[in-house]
Amino acid sequence: MDMHIKTTEQPTRPAQRRYPPGDLALWIFILAELSVFAVFFSAYAFTRAQHVELFSTYQATLDCNSALANTLVLITASFFVVRAVAAIQRDRSAETVRWLWLAVLMAGLFLLIKGHEYAHHLAAGVTLSTNTFYMFYLSLTFFHFMHVILGMLVLLVLAVRTRRGHYSAAEHTDIESGASYWHMVDLVWIVLFPLVYVMR
Amino acid sequence: MSQAFTKAMARNIFYGGSLFFILLFLALTFDTDSTLPSRDNHAAITEKVAMGKALWEKNDCIGCHTLLGEGAYFAPELGNVYKRFGSTDAIKAFIKGRPKNGIPGRRSMPQFNFTDEELDAIAAFLKYASEINTNNWPPNIQG
Amino acid sequence: MQYQSQRVAKPYFIAAIGLFVGQILFGLVMGLQYVMGDFLFPAIPFNVARMVHTNLLIVWLLFGFMGAAYYLVPEEAERELVSPKLALAMFWIFLVAGALTILGYLFVPYSSLADMTGNSILPTMGREFLEQPTITKLGIVVVALAFLFNIGATILSGRKTAVSLVLLIGLAGLAVMFLFSFYNPDNLVKDKFYWWWVVHLWVEGVWELILGSILAFVLIKTTGVDREVIEKWLYVIIAMTLITGIIGTGHHYYWIGTPAYWKWWGSIFSAMEPIPFFMMTVFAFNMVNRRRRNHPNKAAVLWALGTGVMAFLGAGVWGFLHTLAPVNYYTHGTQITAAHGHMAFYGAYVMIVLTMISYAMPMLRGREAANSNRSQVVEMWGFWLMTVSIVFITLFLTAAGILQVYLQRMSENPLPFMVVQDKLALFYWLREITGVVFLIGLVVYIASFFVGSREPEASVSPAPAEAGA
Repeated sequence: MDMHIKTTEQPTRPAQRRYPPGDLALWIFILAELSVFAVFFSAYAFTRAQHVELFSTYQATLDCNSALANTLVLITASFFVVRAVAAIQRDRSAETVRWLWLAVLMAGLFLLIKGHEYAHHLAAGVTLSTNTFYMFYLSLTFFHFMHVILGMLVLLVLAVRTRRGHYSAAEHTDIESGASYWHMVDLVWIVLFPLVYVMR
Repeated sequence: MSQAFTKAMARNIFYGGSLFFILLFLALTFDTDSTLPSRDNHAAITEKVAMGKALWEKNDCIGCHTLLGEGAYFAPELGNVYKRFGSTDAIKAFIKGRPKNGIPGRRSMPQFNFTDEELDAIAAFLKYASEINTNNWPPNIQG
Repeated sequence: MQYQSQRVAKPYFIAAIGLFVGQILFGLVMGLQYVMGDFLFPAIPFNVARMVHTNLLIVWLLFGFMGAAYYLVPEEAERELVSPKLALAMFWIFLVAGALTILGYLFVPYSSLADMTGNSILPTMGREFLEQPTITKLGIVVVALAFLFNIGATILSGRKTAVSLVLLIGLAGLAVMFLFSFYNPDNLVKDKFYWWWVVHLWVEGVWELILGSILAFVLIKTTGVDREVIEKWLYVIIAMTLITGIIGTGHHYYWIGTPAYWKWWGSIFSAMEPIPFFMMTVFAFNMVNRRRRNHPNKAAVLWALGTGVMAFLGAGVWGFLHTLAPVNYYTHGTQITAAHGHMAFYGAYVMIVLTMISYAMPMLRGREAANSNRSQVVEMWGFWLMTVSIVFITLFLTAAGILQVYLQRMSENPLPFMVVQDKLALFYWLREITGVVFLIGLVVYIASFFVGSREPEASVSPAPAEAGA
């Protein structure tokens, strides 16, 4: 584990940018998060293999259209985040703010669509204890849901701070960190959607 | 741009991450609380059972025994003793029959000099405990 | 020693060690009762010896944490403690109340103690580790609040560092979670659910923050590594602690009547609880390797490194071995649990308190930075005797536990509990003998405070080449 603080002061051109972008501490955290999701996904796959009929039966009750819409919503949000990072790299602060707010909007839309799905389940009396499939489905999606909330808050804070002039082409590590986190959240959904909703 | 691993970022992850998981834990606690009535055999908590629990605590039974696997490991698991002994009478007789000065050379249980009412209560408490849905624990009758 | 008020730490540390001796003596009594079942019966039945053993442990660790806080906070905050007098008053109150409680356990039948102390008004007695009469618990709350006020006011009115802030959060969390010990419903499942909010969220939660901050403090002082580096890693470590440990509470919710999904949530998150301990070990070794100075207190550095290793082994590895639900189904409530518990508590909390005492006591007794060579050598003997003993105690209990699990829970003809216990006698005797060695180690450790006190301090050897730092 390299404990040195690297404090390169001079702005570097994109070609010299070091990877991974953003704060290293965050990458440790992202790795931890991905590990947890990976374990959860594996547990799901393993359990599904032992209860194929149960899982198939209840998978059929899920709303694939909403989930598909949500997939598109998250990917769009990620696109906006990419634009935001590109904008700040060119010192276009105002444009960065706009892209970030658009991403926040998309995140909010995800929460609405997913929230609607949950309302439907709740009305049908479905809980974590209904059966093993629903336990996994609700756990996985709710854990992810909370990450979307956190991601949205992060983007929101970044939008506000960019507006206040905290970032520039020379120094915008926070935006790269926040963007990395958002992309992780998107990545998790891209695995979750086919795994839980689609694959029978 | 710096690829700094900043203390500020680590601190933010600490605060953010902790808050996140505290909220998640509270959500799961709320769900657990709503689900308990279907698992915890609370309907069986009569005054007698409550008295039994109070006696269980007042005499620190957990100091030698385990209850649902928790406690001390000196004496047997009592969460399923109702099933193991077969009846409240058997439980009462056992407690009542403990010799005051113990059994020479053996791990010994005190004689608590309970009244019949108290013995009833304790046995009722242990019966109640044995009917809680513990996800099929313990693996067998021995506890 | 930079600030006069740091002196108040000394009585706390002395009391801690005194109570530690008491804890071990009663541990030896219990160990003997395991194999000579009626030893001291009915005068001191097993459960009484046990509550004395566990309560002394918790109280001496609390004295240790408070002493550590009183020592490091003035130095970190760069100001004197707000009220040294309050600290001393609380010391005596806590000590006397604690002593009376222990005497109550020993000399009065427990149910009579309950009656005498008005337990029926608000019954909180009779639960593991929370055997204290309700009035004692209320006293603990008062002492804790006074302590938090003293430490908190000092930190907040002085220089705020990550070390002191993390310590404060940990200590505040300790106090808040203790309040759940007052909640004791008739519903056994709810009782157990919230009991773990005290126990788990203490030792696998806020206590780790206390551990981390003390370790960071000692590393800053003994290695000279830049504070920024050490403090940022402290934040990462405690972030991982709470991220894994809060939901990790679920590994206590498999078999107590709570919903089945805890088997999944608890297993997945608690499986990751070793990560912060692993990080602490790497952290400690790395900082020492990158040190910019050779501190004369080699014993303290040994304790610090040892804490990392033993905490990782005892809490991390042994914890992991029985944390997954399918395994825990068979090992729940057996000697496996006891094995893990002993090494985890010793490795994490006993050792961090002894680390802090090792670092601070020489200066509290008038030295510049460290004890004499002779004293440190004796102290290190104490370290090795105790640490190796605990490893063997854990191994013997693990062996006993595996045999117990097989005979009582897994074999085709499961044997009754008491029958199985008889068959484990050999391991219990080995444990007891090793426990005596542990006591010898503790005596040697205490001797180190009296040996070599007239000899000159250990000297500083030249620092390693700058390139390495």
